Amino acid sequence: MWKKIFAWLDERLGLNDLQKNLLERPEPKGNWWNTLGSASLFLFILQGATGIFLTVYYTPSPDHAYDSITYIMNDVAFGWLIRGIHHWGATLMVLVVFIHMLRVFVTASYKYPRELTWIIGIGLLIATLGMGFTGYLLPWNQRAFWATTVGTEIAGAVPFIGEFILKALRGGTDLSALTLQRFFSGHIWMLPLVLAGLIGAHLYLIIRHGESHWPTKED
Amino acid sequence: MNEDTKKKVNERYQRELNKGEFFWPDSIFKDAIVALGLTILLILLATFVGVAGEPKADPSDTSYVPRPEWYFLFLFKFLALYGQIPVIGKIEWLAAVLVPSIGIGLILFLPLLDKNPDRHYTKRTMSLGVMTILVVDIVILTLISNIPTVAPDDATLLIKLSAWLQPYAGLVIPGVAMAALIALAYFAKNTSWQVMAWITGISSVLIIALTVAIMAFAPKVEATETEVAETLVDQIVAGQDLYSIHCVECHGDDGKVTVIEGVEGLEGKEVSPINSRDVLYTVNDASMAEIIAYGRPDSGMNPFGKMYNPEGLSKSEMDNIVIFMRYTWDDRFEAPQIPELFPPLADGEVPSYDVHIAPIVKRYCISCHRAGKDNNNYLMTTYEEILTTGDNVDSNIIAGDENSYLLQVIQEHEILDENGEVIIGVMPPKSVLKPNVVDVFLRWIMNGMPLTAEDAAALFTPPTLEVTPMP
Repeated sequence: MWKKIFAWLDERLGLNDLQKNLLERPEPKGNWWNTLGSASLFLFILQGATGIFLTVYYTPSPDHAYDSITYIMNDVAFGWLIRGIHHWGATLMVLVVFIHMLRVFVTASYKYPRELTWIIGIGLLIATLGMGFTGYLLPWNQRAFWATTVGTEIAGAVPFIGEFILKALRGGTDLSALTLQRFFSGHIWMLPLVLAGLIGAHLYLIIRHGESHWPTKED
Repeated sequence: MNEDTKKKVNERYQRELNKGEFFWPDSIFKDAIVALGLTILLILLATFVGVAGEPKADPSDTSYVPRPEWYFLFLFKFLALYGQIPVIGKIEWLAAVLVPSIGIGLILFLPLLDKNPDRHYTKRTMSLGVMTILVVDIVILTLISNIPTVAPDDATLLIKLSAWLQPYAGLVIPGVAMAALIALAYFAKNTSWQVMAWITGISSVLIIALTVAIMAFAPKVEATETEVAETLVDQIVAGQDLYSIHCVECHGDDGKVTVIEGVEGLEGKEVSPINSRDVLYTVNDASMAEIIAYGRPDSGMNPFGKMYNPEGLSKSEMDNIVIFMRYTWDDRFEAPQIPELFPPLADGEVPSYDVHIAPIVKRYCISCHRAGKDNNNYLMTTYEEILTTGDNVDSNIIAGDENSYLLQVIQEHEILDENGEVIIGVMPPKSVLKPNVVDVFLRWIMNGMPLTAEDAAALFTPPTLEVTPMP
């Protein structure tokens, strides 16, 4: 019975080919440092899952953002756990992505033929920091409010177009409900889409070129 | 890169593949273990460390010292140190925009800039050295990010040294070391990799040593933790304490005052009873908080927000007052069980300032007995003040004396001078303390005003059990 179902699916989806090309592909001997990339991907998925749960209760408005998070922490079943994982997951993700970059740098894995993989990877690092920056404002507490005030001010120091960037980030001259709304939109739609797209390209390139081997005296 | 090198690289990779492993099950097994480890770590962090509470955003509180997320701290500190450099330190966009942009550009296009096909570390000492110093610098800038960059003029020598060393550890040594590595790589191409490694190592050790010194000499700052009421009960209690200090004078402890009495400048003003349905049903939480923040000039309500008074109430505090009002007077809300203001006393138990007197004084006395109020200069905000301030300081509290003025007035006896004039009226002026509260003050003063719970416990005399002889 199962064999029949599998055969039917395989005929249409090409499961055997997928298995051969994706799962059973040969790789150079790896070590634990090679798990950092998949750890980053795992954290991204975990952040996505906990983030989606948080949006069920979170309200992106200055009047309700803070209270909705207090509600998640105190009254929602396991809300504290979901928020706690999302909060610490952000920290851990920045750390893991950064160490992943260092590992690739130290083993010089960014060299031919993996140059594009590196460039996309730096895009992923920047997008991850962007997630941290936009997510930091969402709790709408003192720390968040003033850190974002200063952070956007720094962007405003760019010569000539600083004023424009500042207003575009804040949605006006001051931090307001508009800022919170656009940071929320950036945090749950724009940046995750950018991240997902870049991750797709990153993975494709890794499968295409294979994981690099640990360099020895020969290299 | 020419075709020959490419071919060599690819052939080399094929050889590694032939003696390699498979993604499934070799690599994915390790990946799964790491994922599991991260999940457990996150659950532990969420459970045992949690997320620190912070007060609600308050745009009018400009005194707040902003701190970014920890992974931007190094950039923050870099900007602060850069600002110390004469002349170019004043051009903010150089450090805030240009340097980070160049950094991002270099790292982004690294594979296009680094044409060297070699991968082993002995053949890449320059790039590895520069990266090592950069990472060390980022780590130490993060570590020293909350140590003041500029020491005040009257600071001790060590604190001044701590500030003075920072630009050297954070900017000068890393900068010089990186420049040296790059210069050697381009102008002395046959420098051995050991020399490069030594430069990297020595400069890193120097940077770390200076950082240790900076952190050791740094002024000790006591972590000021702002307590944030997080549960509903805490919010209601916090709200009630604030209400008792800021609102009671005009609105009364039950909120039903309609004509203000005995408040300078507002005498005889008519106000809506704020415990009434009229008010509670028609004004929502946000508007209520705004009324507290901005006041109602025409009806005598003073503004309490920070935009009028830097010492005023924060956003969270005003929200807590609203929550207290809702759960106390609004019949649509059901209040949770609120813990007692102070733990009840057993027979012979002596109350302490910390456990009993402080919460009582906060609830019933501080509203008037704080600076700037008409109170015969008797302030009650701390233990010292309660014992050592006031026009009648010698008679207010006398250890072991039932005739202490404080005990007299809270038991509804006015203090008269020799002509029969009232010098201290009954306290609190418009209400009567409950007998158990009066009892706490009585026992406290009769037993010599202990400060801490331990002091009070030492004075505890358990009631002697009366032994009734067996018949």
